[in-house]
Amino acid sequence: MTESHDPQLLKGVLSLLLLHLIAERESYGYEVVQRLQAAGFADVLEGSVYPALNRLQRDGLLGTRLVPSPAGPARKYYRLSEQGRRALAESTAAWSRHVAGVEAVLARPLTAEGGH
Amino acid sequence: MTIGWWDRLRIERLVWMLDQQLYDLPRAERIATRRDVRTNLLAAAADVGTTEALRRIGGSRGLAEQYLRAEFGDRPRHSWIAAGYAAGLLPLLLNFFLTEAADAFQAGVTAAHGVGTFTWPGLAWLQSTVTVTATGAGPVSRTGGGWTPLAYVLWVLAVVAAGRLWRLRRRSSQVARAVADN
Repeated sequence: MTESHDPQLLKGVLSLLLLHLIAERESYGYEVVQRLQAAGFADVLEGSVYPALNRLQRDGLLGTRLVPSPAGPARKYYRLSEQGRRALAESTAAWSRHVAGVEAVLARPLTAEGGH
Repeated sequence: MTIGWWDRLRIERLVWMLDQQLYDLPRAERIATRRDVRTNLLAAAADVGTTEALRRIGGSRGLAEQYLRAEFGDRPRHSWIAAGYAAGLLPLLLNFFLTEAADAFQAGVTAAHGVGTFTWPGLAWLQSTVTVTATGAGPVSRTGGGWTPLAYVLWVLAVVAAGRLWRLRRRSSQVARAVADN
């Protein structure tokens, strides 16, 4: 999938995506970016992902540890904290409600009078 | 993909420029950010090439802004860098003008071939009284001409204004509230 995504929509949902990806598997920054791109978010730039990971860490939703890398300096791996796990559950539920609400509106038929 | 020394230099350049723009972050966090960005850039450069890796991370200015926003939020924030510049440059400027003024007074006394002790109240409100003593033989001596208390107050106010440091108060109250909420 290579379609581009609305940056504003993406900005709102980036934290949720990051929490979910890291809940799936502990990852370092660039690996998270690669996984996002593999999931279809090819236009997500590293410049927005790394600071977002930092913010989640600062908010206590992610923990980190340094892991020596054979290819160079040690990498900072992110893992979900207990608080992050709760935030992921809450955000996922909120997202589902949001999508259901949006879809309910979009599913309404458009009348001819409203078209102009 | 192999990363050569030229590519490493390009990466270091971005990391260094980013670091210069993150001086408002706590030191430990700045160091951690620098290390993290470098490691990720090296991984990306090995994967897609240095040019593409640097393109995808954006410029250092944009990246720094994102990091600062992640730390301090979207609201207007203080700037220690601006405060530091103001703290360092304002005394230089003020001292230059005050010294020029005292020099001009001393030059006037010397040109008049006066002998004796001459005083001048200095630049209004900013400078203490300048006293020039000319004996007619030997060099002319000068005392005074320094900052008045008001000059110090103005300097502090200018530093606070340049760095928008009053925003620190709001931030610390927000932090206290967040801690209380938890």
